[in-house]
Amino acid sequence: MSHVTEELDARGLNCPLPILRAKKAIAGLAAGDMLKVLATDPGAVKDFEAFCRQTGNELLQSQSAGDGFEFLIRRQ
Amino acid sequence: MAKRMKAAERRASILAVAKVLFADKGFHAVSVDEIARRVGVSPAVLYQHFASKDELYEAVLDSLSAPRETYVEAALDGPDDFASVLQRITRVFISRVDEDPDYFRIELLSVLEGGEVANRFFASRWQSIVDYIEYSLNELVREKQIPVVNERAAALLFQGMIREAIYSKRILNAERYKGISMDKLIHQLLVLFLQAIGYKGPGE
Repeated sequence: MSHVTEELDARGLNCPLPILRAKKAIAGLAAGDMLKVLATDPGAVKDFEAFCRQTGNELLQSQSAGDGFEFLIRRQ
Repeated sequence: MAKRMKAAERRASILAVAKVLFADKGFHAVSVDEIARRVGVSPAVLYQHFASKDELYEAVLDSLSAPRETYVEAALDGPDDFASVLQRITRVFISRVDEDPDYFRIELLSVLEGGEVANRFFASRWQSIVDYIEYSLNELVREKQIPVVNERAAALLFQGMIREAIYSKRILNAERYKGISMDKLIHQLLVLFLQAIGYKGPGE
């Protein structure tokens, strides 16, 4: 069963801080673990798509949540 | 297919002409009629592509920025420390300016016009970097990695020195800086900036 290993609250932060934080958080996870990210930066959707493309991690979910967004990333 | 390509080309022409006119005269002095006339279309056709002059101006500003993905790549592509990230994203910023000096003309004109136009420029061009600096310095102070510093003033210092470098090299073409490449000048300014805020990190 999949579960979120870690949650990163990047609300209120703008690019590049959310992705830098995510990079750090993911480095501490094992392959298969998942990182949930909360963000409010309007560009966060594109940023995290690019983040996953560039780091080779899997973007499982990208959705609106409250007044921001929620992302679920699986460490590869 | 031909129709779609023609529309895309027309949109690109409108953007290109608008950029040149905004760079020459600023936002307020340029009319949609003039842009349309120079492109060779009617204002009605222009409005099919851009709902307003505002929207067109925003699109021009967007086209002048490096794509967001380039900043993401720069932020991720190397060490995570503040100095290294700042250097990489500054380089992206500068390289985009170097590719298109019209950017800087538009910015200078927007500052003189003041009000909403200038704010929009700041939001579109500088805010990310300035926010990044303020936030990071705040964190570095809390972690006692640097002495207490006024982050807002420090971010302004950074913005000012980068702007001055662009102005001196690309607009004034100042004799005294001709012998130094933009890249080297920016690097040296970054070193001075880091010294000024008391940063002693791996990126030094």
